[in-house]
Amino acid sequence: MKQMMTLEVNGEAHELAVEKDATLLKVLREQMGLNGPKRGCDSGGCGCCTVQIDGKAVYSCLCYALSYDGARITTAEGLSSGAELHPLQSAFVEAGAVQCGYCTCGMMMAAKQLLDDCPHPDEEQIRQGISGNLCRCTGYAKIVDAVKLAAGR
Amino acid sequence: MALHKLKDFHTPGNMEDVLALLGKDAETLVLSGGTFLRGLETRGLLGDVEALVDIRKAGLHTVTTDVAGLEVGATVTFAHLQTIDEVKNTPWLAGLADALAYPPAQIRNIATIGGCVAASCPFFDIPTALMALDASVRTRGPNGVRQLPLPEFFAGMFANALEPGELVTGVAIPRAPGNTAGAFLKLEGNANDLAIVNAAVRITIDAGRTCTDVRVALGGGVAESALRVPSAEKILLGSKLDAATLQAAGDAVINDIDPMSDHRASAEYRRAVSRVMTRRALERAMARLN
Repeated sequence: MKQMMTLEVNGEAHELAVEKDATLLKVLREQMGLNGPKRGCDSGGCGCCTVQIDGKAVYSCLCYALSYDGARITTAEGLSSGAELHPLQSAFVEAGAVQCGYCTCGMMMAAKQLLDDCPHPDEEQIRQGISGNLCRCTGYAKIVDAVKLAAGR
Repeated sequence: MALHKLKDFHTPGNMEDVLALLGKDAETLVLSGGTFLRGLETRGLLGDVEALVDIRKAGLHTVTTDVAGLEVGATVTFAHLQTIDEVKNTPWLAGLADALAYPPAQIRNIATIGGCVAASCPFFDIPTALMALDASVRTRGPNGVRQLPLPEFFAGMFANALEPGELVTGVAIPRAPGNTAGAFLKLEGNANDLAIVNAAVRITIDAGRTCTDVRVALGGGVAESALRVPSAEKILLGSKLDAATLQAAGDAVINDIDPMSDHRASAEYRRAVSRVMTRRALERAMARLN
Protein backbone atom coordinates (compact mmCIF):
# COMPACT_ATOMS: atom_id res chain seq x y z
CA MET A 1 0.00 0.00 0.00
CA LYS A 2 1.27 3.46 -0.84
CA GLN A 3 1.87 6.24 1.65
CA MET A 4 1.47 9.97 1.09
CA MET A 5 4.41 12.35 1.39
CA THR A 6 5.51 15.77 0.24
CA LEU A 7 8.76 16.78 -1.42
CA GLU A 8 10.05 20.09 -2.69
CA VAL A 9 11.88 19.14 -5.87
CA ASN A 10 13.89 21.77 -7.74
CA GLY A 11 11.85 24.50 -6.11
CA GLU A 12 8.40 23.01 -6.72
CA ALA A 13 6.22 21.44 -4.04
CA HIS A 14 4.84 17.98 -4.79
CA GLU A 15 2.46 15.67 -2.99
CA LEU A 16 3.12 12.06 -3.84
CA ALA A 17 1.82 8.59 -3.06
CA VAL A 18 4.90 6.34 -2.84
CA GLU A 19 5.54 2.66 -2.27
CA LYS A 20 6.86 2.06 1.23
CA ASP A 21 10.10 0.53 0.00
CA ALA A 22 10.64 3.04 -2.83
CA THR A 23 13.99 4.76 -2.93
CA LEU A 24 14.19 8.48 -3.49
CA LEU A 25 15.87 7.65 -6.82
CA LYS A 26 12.91 5.57 -7.92
CA VAL A 27 10.42 8.29 -6.98
CA LEU A 28 12.41 10.95 -8.81
CA ARG A 29 12.85 8.90 -11.96
CA GLU A 30 9.68 6.86 -12.23
CA GLN A 31 7.08 9.08 -10.58
CA MET A 32 8.43 12.50 -11.40
CA GLY A 33 10.14 11.78 -14.72
CA LEU A 34 13.45 13.29 -13.66
CA ASN A 35 16.13 11.33 -15.48
CA GLY A 36 19.12 13.35 -14.29
CA PRO A 37 19.79 10.97 -11.41
CA LYS A 38 20.68 7.59 -12.95
CA ARG A 39 20.19 4.09 -11.63
CA GLY A 40 23.67 2.61 -11.93
CA CYS A 41 24.86 0.22 -9.26
CA ASP A 42 21.77 0.91 -7.10
CA SER A 43 23.86 0.28 -3.99
CA GLY A 44 25.89 3.39 -3.28
CA GLY A 45 29.00 2.51 -5.23
CA CYS A 46 28.98 4.62 -8.39
CA GLY A 47 27.50 8.05 -7.66
CA CYS A 48 25.41 8.58 -10.78
CA CYS A 49 22.25 8.88 -8.64
CA THR A 50 23.67 11.81 -6.63
CA VAL A 51 21.17 14.53 -5.68
CA GLN A 52 21.06 17.06 -2.86
CA ILE A 53 18.72 16.63 0.09
CA ASP A 54 18.39 19.89 2.02
CA GLY A 55 21.59 21.10 0.38
CA LYS A 56 23.68 17.99 1.05
CA ALA A 57 24.82 15.55 -1.64
CA VAL A 58 23.58 11.99 -1.13
CA TYR A 59 23.22 8.79 -3.12
CA SER A 60 19.49 8.83 -3.82
CA CYS A 61 19.59 5.06 -4.41
CA LEU A 62 20.42 4.57 -0.71
CA CYS A 63 17.56 6.72 0.57
CA TYR A 64 14.11 5.40 1.30
CA ALA A 65 11.79 8.14 0.04
CA LEU A 66 9.55 8.05 3.11
CA SER A 67 12.47 9.03 5.34
CA TYR A 68 12.52 12.41 3.62
CA ASP A 69 8.94 13.60 3.91
CA GLY A 70 8.99 17.39 3.53
CA ALA A 71 12.61 17.56 2.35
CA ARG A 72 14.02 19.88 -0.29
CA ILE A 73 15.58 17.96 -3.20
CA THR A 74 17.79 19.32 -5.95
CA THR A 75 18.60 17.20 -8.99
CA ALA A 76 20.77 18.11 -11.97
CA GLU A 77 17.60 19.39 -13.64
CA GLY A 78 17.40 22.01 -10.90
CA LEU A 79 20.85 23.48 -11.56
CA SER A 80 19.93 25.75 -14.47
CA SER A 81 17.60 28.68 -14.15
CA GLY A 82 15.43 28.60 -17.23
CA ALA A 83 17.58 28.58 -20.35
CA GLU A 84 20.59 29.84 -18.43
CA LEU A 85 23.03 27.08 -17.56
CA HIS A 86 24.58 26.76 -14.11
CA PRO A 87 28.34 27.52 -14.15
CA LEU A 88 29.02 23.82 -13.59
CA GLN A 89 26.92 22.87 -16.60
CA SER A 90 28.56 25.36 -18.95
CA ALA A 91 32.00 24.39 -17.62
CA PHE A 92 31.31 20.68 -18.28
CA VAL A 93 30.30 21.58 -21.86
CA GLU A 94 33.30 23.84 -22.48
CA ALA A 95 35.85 21.48 -20.95
CA GLY A 96 34.51 18.52 -22.93
CA ALA A 97 33.90 16.72 -19.64
CA VAL A 98 31.00 14.68 -21.04
CA GLN A 99 31.71 11.48 -22.92
CA CYS A 100 28.89 8.94 -22.70
CA GLY A 101 27.14 11.26 -20.23
CA TYR A 102 25.99 8.60 -17.81
CA CYS A 103 27.95 9.91 -14.83
CA THR A 104 27.61 13.60 -15.71
CA CYS A 105 24.55 14.58 -13.67
CA GLY A 106 25.91 12.82 -10.59
CA MET A 107 29.35 14.34 -11.11
CA MET A 108 27.88 17.83 -11.30
CA MET A 109 25.84 17.28 -8.14
CA ALA A 110 28.94 16.02 -6.28
CA ALA A 111 30.91 18.98 -7.62
CA LYS A 112 28.15 21.32 -6.48
CA GLN A 113 28.51 20.04 -2.91
CA LEU A 114 32.28 20.53 -3.17
CA LEU A 115 31.98 24.10 -4.45
CA ASP A 116 29.28 24.92 -1.87
CA ASP A 117 31.68 23.84 0.90
CA CYS A 118 34.93 24.95 -0.68
CA PRO A 119 34.52 27.56 -3.46
CA HIS A 120 38.17 27.47 -4.58
CA PRO A 121 39.36 23.87 -4.36
CA ASP A 122 42.80 22.72 -5.51
CA GLU A 123 43.13 19.67 -7.74
CA GLU A 124 43.50 17.27 -4.82
CA GLN A 125 40.33 18.64 -3.21
CA ILE A 126 38.47 18.30 -6.51
CA ARG A 127 39.58 14.70 -6.87
CA GLN A 128 38.48 14.02 -3.28
CA GLY A 129 35.20 15.80 -3.96
CA ILE A 130 34.32 13.50 -6.85
CA SER A 131 35.80 10.36 -5.26
CA GLY A 132 32.31 8.95 -4.74
CA ASN A 133 31.50 9.14 -8.45
CA LEU A 134 32.58 6.67 -11.08
CA CYS A 135 33.13 7.76 -14.70
CA ARG A 136 32.77 4.62 -16.77
CA CYS A 137 34.62 6.29 -19.66
CA THR A 138 37.47 7.12 -17.22
CA GLY A 139 37.33 10.74 -18.40
CA TYR A 140 38.39 12.17 -15.07
CA ALA A 141 41.00 14.67 -16.33
CA LYS A 142 38.45 16.76 -18.20
CA ILE A 143 35.93 16.46 -15.36
CA VAL A 144 38.55 17.89 -13.00
CA ASP A 145 39.24 20.64 -15.56
CA ALA A 146 35.52 21.43 -15.71
CA VAL A 147 35.21 21.74 -11.92
CA LYS A 148 38.27 24.03 -11.88
CA LEU A 149 36.70 26.14 -14.61
CA ALA A 150 33.39 26.35 -12.77
CA ALA A 151 35.15 27.30 -9.51
CA GLY A 152 36.68 30.29 -11.27
CA ARG A 153 33.29 31.67 -12.31
CA MET B 1 15.23 -6.69 -5.22
CA ALA B 2 12.77 -5.18 -2.90
CA LEU B 3 11.19 -5.46 0.50
CA HIS B 4 8.39 -7.72 -0.70
CA LYS B 5 6.77 -8.12 2.71
CA LEU B 6 7.14 -4.54 3.92
CA LYS B 7 3.84 -3.35 5.41
CA ASP B 8 4.84 -0.37 7.53
CA PHE B 9 7.35 2.44 7.34
CA HIS B 10 7.52 4.32 10.63
CA THR B 11 9.22 7.61 11.47
CA PRO B 12 8.60 7.89 15.24
CA GLY B 13 9.33 11.22 16.90
CA ASN B 14 10.53 9.94 20.28
CA MET B 15 12.23 6.94 21.91
CA GLU B 16 9.09 5.64 23.63
CA ASP B 17 7.41 5.23 20.26
CA VAL B 18 10.56 3.60 18.83
CA LEU B 19 10.62 1.02 21.63
CA ALA B 20 6.90 0.33 21.30
CA LEU B 21 7.32 -0.30 17.56
CA LEU B 22 10.34 -2.57 18.09
CA GLY B 23 8.38 -4.52 20.71
CA LYS B 24 5.68 -5.52 18.23
CA ASP B 25 5.57 -9.09 16.99
CA ALA B 26 6.80 -8.41 13.46
CA GLU B 27 9.99 -8.66 11.46
CA THR B 28 11.05 -5.11 12.28
CA LEU B 29 14.33 -3.45 11.36
CA VAL B 30 15.76 -0.21 12.68
CA LEU B 31 16.70 2.22 9.91
CA SER B 32 19.22 4.97 10.51
CA GLY B 33 21.29 6.31 7.57
CA GLY B 34 20.30 3.32 5.47
CA THR B 35 23.56 3.06 3.56
CA PHE B 36 24.20 -0.48 4.81
CA LEU B 37 20.60 -1.60 4.91
CA ARG B 38 20.00 -0.74 1.26
CA GLY B 39 23.03 -2.83 0.38
CA LEU B 40 21.49 -5.81 2.15
CA GLU B 41 18.20 -5.19 0.36
CA THR B 42 19.81 -5.16 -3.08
CA ARG B 43 21.42 -8.51 -2.27
CA GLY B 44 17.98 -9.94 -1.50
CA LEU B 45 18.69 -10.38 2.20
CA LEU B 46 15.75 -8.40 3.60
CA GLY B 47 12.91 -10.31 1.99
CA ASP B 48 11.26 -11.06 5.35
CA VAL B 49 11.22 -7.54 6.75
CA GLU B 50 7.69 -6.35 7.54
CA ALA B 51 8.38 -2.98 9.15
CA LEU B 52 11.09 -0.34 9.02
CA VAL B 53 11.52 2.08 11.91
CA ASP B 54 13.46 5.18 10.87
CA ILE B 55 14.92 6.49 14.14
CA ARG B 56 16.34 9.76 12.81
CA LYS B 57 13.59 11.88 14.36
CA ALA B 58 13.75 10.16 17.75
CA GLY B 59 16.20 12.59 19.36
CA LEU B 60 19.43 10.60 18.99
CA HIS B 61 21.15 13.20 16.80
CA THR B 62 23.34 15.13 19.25
CA VAL B 63 27.02 15.11 20.20
CA THR B 64 28.04 16.24 23.69
CA THR B 65 31.57 16.73 24.93
CA ASP B 66 32.61 17.06 28.59
CA VAL B 67 35.41 16.05 30.93
CA ALA B 68 34.43 12.40 30.64
CA GLY B 69 34.68 12.40 26.84
CA LEU B 70 32.23 12.34 23.94
CA GLU B 71 28.68 11.08 23.79
CA VAL B 72 27.67 10.56 20.17
CA GLY B 73 24.00 9.89 19.42
CA ALA B 74 23.21 6.93 17.20
CA THR B 75 21.86 9.04 14.33
CA VAL B 76 24.75 11.51 14.23
CA THR B 77 26.11 11.47 10.68
CA PHE B 78 29.80 11.19 9.83
CA ALA B 79 29.62 14.72 8.36
CA HIS B 80 28.14 16.09 11.60
CA LEU B 81 30.80 14.42 13.73
CA GLN B 82 33.48 15.92 11.47
CA THR B 83 32.26 19.41 12.43
CA ILE B 84 32.83 18.87 16.17
CA ASP B 85 35.81 21.03 17.24
CA GLU B 86 37.39 18.35 19.38
CA VAL B 87 37.19 15.77 16.59
CA LYS B 88 38.72 18.23 14.13
CA ASN B 89 41.48 19.57 16.33
CA THR B 90 42.70 17.22 19.04
CA PRO B 91 45.41 14.56 18.57
CA TRP B 92 43.70 12.01 20.85
CA LEU B 93 40.70 11.89 18.46
CA ALA B 94 42.76 12.16 15.27
CA GLY B 95 42.23 8.48 14.42
CA LEU B 96 38.48 9.00 14.39
CA ALA B 97 38.89 12.11 12.22
CA ASP B 98 41.07 10.08 9.81
CA ALA B 99 38.44 7.36 9.51
CA LEU B 100 35.58 9.83 9.02
CA ALA B 101 37.42 11.47 6.10
CA TYR B 102 37.68 8.34 3.92
CA PRO B 103 34.14 7.96 2.57
CA PRO B 104 32.83 10.29 -0.16
CA ALA B 105 30.56 13.19 0.81
CA GLN B 106 27.47 11.29 -0.33
CA ILE B 107 28.14 8.67 2.38
CA ARG B 108 29.40 11.08 5.05
CA ASN B 109 26.22 13.15 4.74
CA ILE B 110 23.95 10.25 5.52
CA ALA B 111 25.76 7.32 7.18
CA THR B 112 25.41 7.38 10.97
CA ILE B 113 27.62 6.33 13.86
CA GLY B 114 24.96 4.10 15.38
CA GLY B 115 24.16 2.44 12.09
CA CYS B 116 27.77 1.76 11.33
CA VAL B 117 28.27 0.09 14.71
CA ALA B 118 24.99 -1.83 14.67
CA ALA B 119 25.73 -3.20 11.20
CA SER B 120 28.55 -5.19 12.84
CA CYS B 121 30.27 -5.41 9.48
CA PRO B 122 33.91 -6.55 9.75
CA PHE B 123 34.92 -4.39 6.78
CA PHE B 124 33.79 -1.01 8.15
CA ASP B 125 36.27 1.69 9.22
CA ILE B 126 34.63 3.56 12.09
CA PRO B 127 34.35 0.51 14.39
CA THR B 128 38.12 -0.02 14.14
CA ALA B 129 38.75 3.65 14.96
CA LEU B 130 36.30 3.47 17.89
CA MET B 131 37.91 0.32 19.22
CA ALA B 132 41.27 2.09 19.51
CA LEU B 133 39.44 4.74 21.56
CA ASP B 134 37.96 2.25 24.08
CA ALA B 135 34.50 3.30 22.92
CA SER B 136 31.41 1.56 24.18
CA VAL B 137 27.97 1.15 22.69
CA ARG B 138 24.89 2.49 24.49
CA THR B 139 21.74 0.49 23.94
CA ARG B 140 18.13 0.68 25.03
CA GLY B 141 15.52 -2.03 24.96
CA PRO B 142 12.64 -3.61 26.84
CA ASN B 143 14.97 -4.41 29.76
CA GLY B 144 16.38 -0.91 30.07
CA VAL B 145 19.67 0.61 29.06
CA ARG B 146 23.05 -1.08 28.70
CA GLN B 147 26.59 0.04 27.95
CA LEU B 148 28.77 -2.51 26.18
CA PRO B 149 32.46 -2.12 25.28
CA LEU B 150 32.81 -2.64 21.53
CA PRO B 151 34.62 -6.01 21.82
CA GLU B 152 31.66 -7.29 23.86
CA PHE B 153 29.11 -5.76 21.49
CA PHE B 154 30.44 -7.52 18.39
CA ALA B 155 29.56 -11.20 18.25
CA GLY B 156 30.98 -12.31 14.91
CA MET B 157 30.31 -11.40 11.31
CA PHE B 158 27.16 -9.22 11.04
CA ALA B 159 26.21 -10.34 14.57
CA ASN B 160 26.06 -8.41 17.82
CA ALA B 161 24.84 -8.54 21.39
CA LEU B 162 21.56 -6.68 20.75
CA GLU B 163 18.53 -8.49 22.12
CA PRO B 164 15.11 -8.51 20.45
CA GLY B 165 13.51 -5.08 20.71
CA GLU B 166 16.81 -3.44 21.66
CA LEU B 167 18.62 -0.78 19.62
CA VAL B 168 21.87 1.18 19.64
CA THR B 169 21.23 4.67 21.04
CA GLY B 170 24.76 6.02 20.89
CA VAL B 171 28.48 5.58 21.35
CA ALA B 172 30.48 6.77 24.36
CA ILE B 173 34.13 7.69 23.84
CA PRO B 174 36.08 8.13 27.08
CA ARG B 175 38.58 10.98 27.14
CA ALA B 176 42.21 9.88 26.92
CA PRO B 177 44.36 12.09 29.16
CA GLY B 178 47.98 13.16 28.82
CA ASN B 179 50.15 13.40 25.75
CA THR B 180 48.03 11.18 23.55
CA ALA B 181 47.64 10.90 19.79
CA GLY B 182 45.81 8.55 17.47
CA ALA B 183 45.75 7.62 13.81
CA PHE B 184 43.77 5.49 11.40
CA LEU B 185 44.74 4.13 8.00
CA LYS B 186 42.76 2.21 5.42
CA LEU B 187 43.97 0.11 2.54
CA GLU B 188 41.31 0.09 -0.16
CA GLY B 189 41.01 -1.04 -3.75
CA ASN B 190 39.38 2.20 -4.85
CA ALA B 191 38.17 5.41 -3.26
CA ASN B 192 34.66 4.11 -2.60
CA ASP B 193 35.25 0.52 -1.52
CA LEU B 194 35.31 -1.29 1.79
CA ALA B 195 38.67 -1.83 3.44
CA ILE B 196 41.03 -4.64 2.56
CA VAL B 197 42.64 -3.92 5.92
CA ASN B 198 42.29 -0.96 8.25
CA ALA B 199 44.33 -0.06 11.33
CA ALA B 200 43.73 2.33 14.22
CA VAL B 201 46.09 3.17 17.06
CA ARG B 202 46.22 5.46 20.07
CA ILE B 203 49.48 6.17 21.88
CA THR B 204 50.17 7.95 25.19
CA ILE B 205 53.67 8.89 26.29
CA ASP B 206 55.11 10.38 29.49
CA ALA B 207 57.59 13.25 29.86
CA GLY B 208 60.48 10.84 29.17
CA ARG B 209 58.71 9.78 25.94
CA THR B 210 58.09 6.27 27.22
CA CYS B 211 54.83 4.69 26.06
CA THR B 212 52.49 4.52 29.06
CA ASP B 213 49.29 3.50 27.30
CA VAL B 214 48.52 2.15 23.86
CA ARG B 215 45.72 0.68 21.79
CA VAL B 216 46.10 -1.11 18.49
CA ALA B 217 43.01 -2.23 16.58
CA LEU B 218 42.59 -3.82 13.17
CA GLY B 219 39.62 -4.38 10.90
CA GLY B 220 38.67 -4.93 7.28
CA GLY B 221 38.38 -8.67 7.16
CA VAL B 222 41.25 -9.52 9.51
CA ALA B 223 38.69 -11.41 11.61
CA GLU B 224 34.91 -11.71 11.91
CA SER B 225 34.84 -8.26 13.48
CA ALA B 226 37.26 -5.43 14.17
CA LEU B 227 39.50 -6.40 17.06
CA ARG B 228 42.14 -5.25 19.53
CA VAL B 229 45.64 -6.57 18.97
CA PRO B 230 47.19 -7.24 22.40
CA SER B 231 50.36 -8.84 20.97
CA ALA B 232 51.33 -5.51 19.43
CA GLU B 233 50.21 -3.47 22.43
CA LYS B 234 52.44 -5.52 24.79
CA ILE B 235 55.51 -4.79 22.68
CA LEU B 236 54.79 -1.06 22.57
CA LEU B 237 53.85 -0.53 26.22
CA GLY B 238 56.84 0.67 28.26
CA SER B 239 59.00 1.10 25.18
CA LYS B 240 60.55 4.24 23.74
CA LEU B 241 58.67 3.65 20.47
CA ASP B 242 61.82 3.52 18.36
CA ALA B 243 61.66 2.28 14.77
CA ALA B 244 62.64 -1.29 15.66
CA THR B 245 59.87 -1.48 18.27
CA LEU B 246 57.25 -0.19 15.84
CA GLN B 247 58.38 -2.76 13.30
CA ALA B 248 58.22 -5.54 15.91
CA ALA B 249 54.75 -4.44 16.98
CA GLY B 250 53.59 -4.49 13.37
CA ASP B 251 55.02 -7.93 12.84
CA ALA B 252 53.31 -9.22 16.00
CA VAL B 253 49.77 -8.47 14.82
CA ILE B 254 49.61 -11.73 12.90
CA ASN B 255 49.42 -13.55 16.27
CA ASP B 256 46.00 -12.07 16.99
CA ILE B 257 44.26 -11.98 13.62
CA ASP B 258 42.56 -14.63 11.52
CA PRO B 259 42.03 -12.98 8.14
CA MET B 260 39.49 -14.11 5.58
CA SER B 261 39.83 -14.54 1.84
CA ASP B 262 37.29 -12.87 -0.42
CA HIS B 263 37.06 -11.07 -3.76
CA ARG B 264 38.99 -8.10 -2.30
CA ALA B 265 42.04 -9.96 -1.04
CA SER B 266 43.38 -13.29 0.11
CA ALA B 267 43.95 -14.07 3.76
CA GLU B 268 47.66 -14.23 3.06
CA TYR B 269 47.66 -10.74 1.55
CA ARG B 270 45.62 -9.34 4.45
CA ARG B 271 48.09 -10.90 6.90
CA ALA B 272 51.02 -9.31 5.07
CA VAL B 273 49.53 -5.82 4.77
CA SER B 274 48.19 -5.84 8.36
CA ARG B 275 51.79 -5.66 9.54
CA VAL B 276 52.58 -2.73 7.29
CA MET B 277 49.36 -0.83 7.99
CA THR B 278 49.88 -1.17 11.75
CA ARG B 279 53.41 0.17 11.59
CA ARG B 280 52.38 3.07 9.37
CA ALA B 281 49.45 3.95 11.64
CA LEU B 282 51.83 3.96 14.63
CA GLU B 283 54.21 6.27 12.76
CA ARG B 284 51.34 8.56 11.83
CA ALA B 285 50.16 8.79 15.44
CA MET B 286 53.68 9.40 16.75
CA ALA B 287 54.07 12.36 14.42
CA ARG B 288 51.04 13.89 16.13
CA LEU B 289 52.32 13.60 19.71
CA ASN B 290 53.39 16.79 21.44
